[in-house]
Amino acid sequence: MKQPGGAGAGMSRRTFLAAAAVAPLIVKAGVLGRGGETPPSERILVGGIGIGRRGQHDLGWMLAEKDIQFVAICDARRERREAVKQIVDGYYGNTGCAMHRDIREFLATRTDLDAVLIATGDRWHATASVMAMRAGKDVYSEKPSAMTIAEGQAVVATAQRFGRVYQTGTQRLSEANFVAGNELLRLGRLGQIHTVRAHISGGNAVMNKAWAPGEPEPARDEVDWDEWLGPCPWRPYSSQYIKGGWRNQYDFHTSCIGEWGAHTFAQCQVALGLGDTSAVAYEYVNNASGDGMVTRFANGVKMVLQQGGWHGSCGVRFEGSEGWVACADGYSRPEVSNPALLADYAKLVQDYAARTGRALNHVRNFFDCVKSRQLTVANPVMMHRSMSTVHAANIAMWLQRNMTYDPTKEEFVNDPEANRLRSRAAREPWQI
Amino acid sequence: MKHLFSCLLLAAVTSVAPLARAQTSEADLLAVLKSDAPQERKADACRDLARVGTQASVAPLAALLGDEKLAHMARYGLETIPGSAVDGALRAALGQLKGRQLVGVINSLGVRRDAQAVAPLAQLLGAADADVAAAAAMTLGKLGTPPAVAALRQALGKVPAAADGLLRCAEAAPEQAVALYDAVRTAPVPRHVQMAATRGAILARGAAGLPLLIESLKSADVALFRVALRVGRELPGAEVTQALAAELGKFPADKQNLVIDVLGDRRDAAAAPVLLAIAGSGAADVRISAIRALTQLGHSAAVPVLAELAGGTDVEVAKAALSGLAGFPGQEVNAAIVALLGKPDAKLRCIGLELIGRRRITGALAEVLRLANDADAQVCAAGFKVLGELAGANEIPALLVLLQKSPATQSAEDALAAVCVRQALSVPGALVIQKAVYGALPDGPAADVTALVAELVKSGRLAIDASNRTFKDPAGGHTKQLRVDYTVNGVAKSAMVRENQSLQLDTSSAVSPNAGPLLAAYAQAQGAPKLALLRLLRSAGGAQALAVVRDATGSANAEVKEAALRALCDWSTAEALPDLEQLAQSAPDAKFKILALRGYIRLLPLQNIPAAAKVTALQQAFRAAGRDEERRLVLASLGTVLAPEALVAVGACLDSPNLKAEAALAAVALAENLVKTHPAQVAEVMQKVVKSGGNADVLKRARKISGQIKKAGQGK
Repeated sequence: MKQPGGAGAGMSRRTFLAAAAVAPLIVKAGVLGRGGETPPSERILVGGIGIGRRGQHDLGWMLAEKDIQFVAICDARRERREAVKQIVDGYYGNTGCAMHRDIREFLATRTDLDAVLIATGDRWHATASVMAMRAGKDVYSEKPSAMTIAEGQAVVATAQRFGRVYQTGTQRLSEANFVAGNELLRLGRLGQIHTVRAHISGGNAVMNKAWAPGEPEPARDEVDWDEWLGPCPWRPYSSQYIKGGWRNQYDFHTSCIGEWGAHTFAQCQVALGLGDTSAVAYEYVNNASGDGMVTRFANGVKMVLQQGGWHGSCGVRFEGSEGWVACADGYSRPEVSNPALLADYAKLVQDYAARTGRALNHVRNFFDCVKSRQLTVANPVMMHRSMSTVHAANIAMWLQRNMTYDPTKEEFVNDPEANRLRSRAAREPWQI
Repeated sequence: MKHLFSCLLLAAVTSVAPLARAQTSEADLLAVLKSDAPQERKADACRDLARVGTQASVAPLAALLGDEKLAHMARYGLETIPGSAVDGALRAALGQLKGRQLVGVINSLGVRRDAQAVAPLAQLLGAADADVAAAAAMTLGKLGTPPAVAALRQALGKVPAAADGLLRCAEAAPEQAVALYDAVRTAPVPRHVQMAATRGAILARGAAGLPLLIESLKSADVALFRVALRVGRELPGAEVTQALAAELGKFPADKQNLVIDVLGDRRDAAAAPVLLAIAGSGAADVRISAIRALTQLGHSAAVPVLAELAGGTDVEVAKAALSGLAGFPGQEVNAAIVALLGKPDAKLRCIGLELIGRRRITGALAEVLRLANDADAQVCAAGFKVLGELAGANEIPALLVLLQKSPATQSAEDALAAVCVRQALSVPGALVIQKAVYGALPDGPAADVTALVAELVKSGRLAIDASNRTFKDPAGGHTKQLRVDYTVNGVAKSAMVRENQSLQLDTSSAVSPNAGPLLAAYAQAQGAPKLALLRLLRSAGGAQALAVVRDATGSANAEVKEAALRALCDWSTAEALPDLEQLAQSAPDAKFKILALRGYIRLLPLQNIPAAAKVTALQQAFRAAGRDEERRLVLASLGTVLAPEALVAVGACLDSPNLKAEAALAAVALAENLVKTHPAQVAEVMQKVVKSGGNADVLKRARKISGQIKKAGQGK
């Protein structure tokens, strides 16, 4: 297999660290372990797979953690590889960030890496996660964790089989405002919960399948189109896709329901203590987006998909017999039916952190778990189960009918057609 | 002719929306495959056959397995078709394909779990193409039959993926699992694969895996230690817990913390004695880990120990213990917490009170009232604080007694004020639905749903889903709204939400049910408690309370008069508007003129009058204001009245150097709500906002709104 000129290609952890400590002309004191920081030999070595705008946001959080060292980027696009290298090298004051184009070569040769950040488009998340965990890496993957129910199952099984730590980038599970809302529910202050509402983004649930007009394929080093497509069906290259136009494409995206539902369904299910199951009933709504769809869990609680009525993105609202709480990114504090519910906001958050030992910082929670081998807050099972709710809601929209889903068997009840949409054949050579 | 047929068929199959494709027949899709349709159309047909294809599709799809462009989509179609014909077709293709297409077919056989493919796949383990051999190994692992296992064992150490395959086989065959895991962990395979096999080897052995677990835990090898941390959470059994606990003291502090976390995650009370001992002494971070683990265990014997620690001198340990108790699982622990109130040590009584507040133990309020009269000042203050958080109408009489007796007047007043505010918010008044309309409001088709909403309210619902499921769709194709006009204790209210939102009926009554006891106490009180009660009457609200406060503004006692005037100026409902209007004009003291005007401006938008009338009243207040400070308050209030008149009024102040910042902020807030209904007026005012310069965030919002109008073609 061809190996691009990644500086770290084929390196062991020890040789890489030696190179990193020696090569740069200017090395910040922290890199050498002075100033009370973690010495290189004890740092978690991290590489990136597919880092664009969202990934750079994650990268920023990761670089701020003093016990990690980001050392390599793998991306099908040269422009993005170089952008990440520039950020990372600029941060560390060295030239140590290696660049790779081919994910298989990257995972096979970078045996020094402890963990990877996966921030490709939706299409690659599960496949890259499975590959990375099989290669012995712990994984922080952007959401959604999977394109299909079968992919989610593979992520769960692989994490378990290889004993890997996995976290999905549903960062609101580690943000104080959302945590406070969850705690109100957990402590019973809202009474008996009957309804939760989950924000879905603008756009459509029924997605486009048509190809964009083809353009001449760039040189492989520029954009490795075959690698970019990964497990998805082939189609001719178009610059539209790599500029974000992959969204709302059936082959590449999980629809407006998955776009934010990947966050908000997880937030609702975690708050309800239903992270190990999925909604059982889905009521089809006759519109393009799924706005207003009612889903129900086995305990009778209904979850309503809701596009409007939020300040900011990824809102959730929990309604109980004694009150309600709502939160989205635009809320300086959660909104509540009665201010007394949140009078002890700071203590609620503090008690959560003390009780769980979890950092209110999503990447920190991941790195803590890399060391402790605890389950992350957005662990594979929880993400698979909440994403199964997303997939089932999508399938109800695609097939235009109500659905019943059996979370134990992980299949739709008496609906063979829906069951056939639980998986999609991966393009060769990829597999999960 | 064939070409024309293809075009017509394509039009029927592919030019329609994806949803409609759900109705496309298998025959139509197969016809596309057989036609000379372009690759995209054939790929689409394969994708749809994955959903609707039957045996009839197998041969046409299988025929494409060697097609360089469509091989993947052929498998896409085949993989989900039920029946053995697909397996046979895929097996048949094994001998005819090579390279990526062969890899794809091997992978599909794995997805389909075709046990009959074992023999040919076993042959392919020896393929020269490493990708083919790896795919065969992975698929054999998925099949997991004895012959598959045998083939993989032979390939172990030669084909890298054979180890992965065996790990899968071990999961599917518990009786062979130990042997398979042991084979992999001792084979020349990558270190992380050995670690995965070690995890499996321990788990597969059950209790007999304990020595290997402990050995791994003690290992200096970080990878092995991490395997042990993981397995320590997964391997069941009290003996495992005990063994882990017994090893705890032998680890250095950094490892000890991690193993304590393992014990916490095991949720096994067998670890409690060791954890309790560690929590009591030693390094702070280890003690904190032990406290967290004890909390996870939920073992009631930990409660008194944690309470003791919460009162200890180490601040971080004490904080952890307090948080641990606050989140301690189950209700049984509440009795132990309430018992702390009877402890001779004042610090423990304070901790008990704090926890009663944090855990919302309302059953302990009688005890808490007793401690609000405690001899210890800190206990007393803590008691009042909890009462403020938890007490209700039932505790008000006792609190009033305390207010007049306790030296901690301020604490008592604070507690009562919190209770009054909470009661006013939470005690529902008599709710009557006047009118409810659902439809394309305000002018489109709509249905009168008054009776249905009234029925829902009668059944106890205060949150009404504005949806076609709750009401029939009266305006298909339109975005609808639900508007409900209702009264609470005769006071008119109205609420409106858009489709698929929940309309929450606000049943809080402006007439507080708590004023009675307060008024009775006020009549008897003297000195500081009397002044406190005047302030509390403001918190309670209601006509009776207002009358008493109004009367007290004429008191001969200067302190009473001042307290009453301040309470009036700070009144929270629109009932006080006439009093404030009068005071603003004629109060003898300039200070109270200003305070009254400020209260007046604040309360004007709360009136139940048309928005235009509110704007008029605020404009009058603006003219009456003698200072820019109050004019700015008027502008802020105008920003909450969602009416075009308010937009015009604030727009008029954008030229004033001293007021333009507040005017711009109010204008943008209004514009964001009025942009769809009054685009022309909004566009004009936003232009002025942008011209006025000022705060960058406000300007950004103004430009965004202008952009929206331009995009909608409604603005200039």
